[in-house]
Amino acid sequence: MKKLLVLLSLIFVVGCQPDEILSPIDLNQTEVPNSLQIDAISGLKLESNIVSDEVRMNVKLPYSGTYRIKIRDISKELISQEKITANEGDNLLKVYVSSLAKDGYTIELTNDIHEVLGLTTLIVN
Amino acid sequence: MKKILTLLVSVLCTISVFGQSRMDYSPVNTVTQVGDTLVVKYQYFIGDKNEARLYQFDIQHNNKLLDVISNDWQTTSTSAQKAVNTWNGYKFTIDGTKDQTDFDGQYLSWLAGNASYGANADWSVQRVTYQDVTSLSDGDEIMKVSYKIKDKSNTNYTDYTNLINVNWANYQEVDGTQIDVTGQSNLGLTGIQGGDAGNVSISVSSNVITNNIGDGSDFSYTIYNKGENTNPITSGNFDAAGDATIQGLENDVEYDLYVSIDNSKTYLDNAVTVSDLALVFAEAIGAGDGPNGISTTFDYYIQSILANVVGTSIPNGGDVNFQDSYEILAYLQGVTTGNTPFISKTGEVYNVSGIKSTFGDEVNGIATVSATFKPTDNDKSFQFAHAIAGDVNFSHGFEPTSTNASIPNAAQSATTARSMMARGEKFQPETANIDLVSEIVDGNVIFSINSDIAEMVGSQFNIEYDRTRLVLDNVIFDTGNTMTNFSNHIENEGKVRIGSFDQNFEATVKTGTPYKLIFIPTVQLNNTAGLITFKVKEGVKADGTQINFIMN
Repeated sequence: MKKLLVLLSLIFVVGCQPDEILSPIDLNQTEVPNSLQIDAISGLKLESNIVSDEVRMNVKLPYSGTYRIKIRDISKELISQEKITANEGDNLLKVYVSSLAKDGYTIELTNDIHEVLGLTTLIVN
Repeated sequence: MKKILTLLVSVLCTISVFGQSRMDYSPVNTVTQVGDTLVVKYQYFIGDKNEARLYQFDIQHNNKLLDVISNDWQTTSTSAQKAVNTWNGYKFTIDGTKDQTDFDGQYLSWLAGNASYGANADWSVQRVTYQDVTSLSDGDEIMKVSYKIKDKSNTNYTDYTNLINVNWANYQEVDGTQIDVTGQSNLGLTGIQGGDAGNVSISVSSNVITNNIGDGSDFSYTIYNKGENTNPITSGNFDAAGDATIQGLENDVEYDLYVSIDNSKTYLDNAVTVSDLALVFAEAIGAGDGPNGISTTFDYYIQSILANVVGTSIPNGGDVNFQDSYEILAYLQGVTTGNTPFISKTGEVYNVSGIKSTFGDEVNGIATVSATFKPTDNDKSFQFAHAIAGDVNFSHGFEPTSTNASIPNAAQSATTARSMMARGEKFQPETANIDLVSEIVDGNVIFSINSDIAEMVGSQFNIEYDRTRLVLDNVIFDTGNTMTNFSNHIENEGKVRIGSFDQNFEATVKTGTPYKLIFIPTVQLNNTAGLITFKVKEGVKADGTQINFIMN
């Protein structure tokens, strides 16, 4: 009986702890348009690779967690980096290029230990 | 016996040569430059022959290299008949069975059709005829011809060694007897200078090009006559590779060439950084009198010019002191002082340029640059180097390569690590990992600079942000209690320059997150990709070693 009570108490305590809730990204559009569909389990896709102000981007993640989106210049030097916490599957985000010089870049999706999950080119004009 | 025979042959030949009449032609003045007037005298020597009454000879000259100005008779006889006929576009082909200097023989061959004139646009022929009832005296000059020396550029000729030939001579006695005539085969000149230099190649070297910060087309040149700086002869831009071809210059003339960088380039705002500040502070602390004095911490003499941002105008240089270092610190902090410092930035550049091979060479303890170059026939390619004031570590300039530009170990300050190095050994930048990242936290955009690097006495980060979507709300420093932090916010350009520096070279930037920028979004944002970019990210150690940050 005592063991049962301890077990019940444990279940109660665990049950009262909050679930790990990731900060969900508030997407205006929940459905991923065809132009941003990604077949693979993870990856990154821009609605257009030629951009003048901003562009929509689908970031497809294998698991919920923390990831990074990196922008590199022609010599592959990192010039911009953001950290996101997002859910498994498709995540509709944006890339803003107003503060980037008109040039060619690459944009990367990596996990938090810098393993590349997706990569594409970005032309700012 | 063989020697005696040889001697006899030589004597006979000499007697034979000196026995003939001669048609001599030689310059009467010295010429050295394109455009000079060459005067040639045509002279009669009787030799052991009978007196002549008819003196006729054909001269040909290269009309690409010489232009006849005048033909001036030198005889005074009033009874003489004289004529000069000219044909342009012809060149004499000799009778190859006879010596070229057998002038009477070539004449007879020409009459017989065994020597001839063929069309040749480069040559002109003049026929001189002088006839009198009395003979000329031995050594009399018949005619002087004045020629203007033309520029050989844009011709097929590389020198002036074959300008004038006498093709044949027809000297006749009073009864018509042909007289043997000889003379020299050719008149030419050497050492002629000047003239259109044609295509002169120049190039510029700078780390702006080498490190792809910009390219060669960001640079321009201006050329003056040597010693002038008010009326340019010509100017232009380099191409993307940093090369240019100049026309309109003259050979053997000295010119001064100055290289400038387009001061509208925004990367110039990244030229003067905390690394330069550290070098200047170290010099002010450790050197005392500067490189032209007792000791220095610099690697190159020219750094004393680039670092001397207050006081004596560029490029004269002078002693580097605390005023210079504090002026650079004020610049990084965005503080305006009462001085007009020589700190290069966008819109305001102080150029230093000169011949690359001697760039920064020491003369009497002072760095020098030479703007002077001189095109010649053998040298039409010149390399220049460029640097800018305030950029002491040459991040946007050319680091000297000349041995004479390096400061010897003996002149190094004993108070710095630099004194342990051999001559020519330079500070080598180190690399270290750092993390610069933006994210949305509680509705704000947070840009964090995370560092695990110890031993940094200075650091700098030039950040640019999208000011159409973000407003900078706060900069949080957590660098340690004794660091001098700076934050220069250029709001209308969306730029922030932040960093720290300990001017005593003792305290170091705290590890962790020493810098954090808080931005408030002005539009709805789901993420921050591309909103914040970083241009400069560098640190400096206590011994002056630059740390180049690398990021995964």
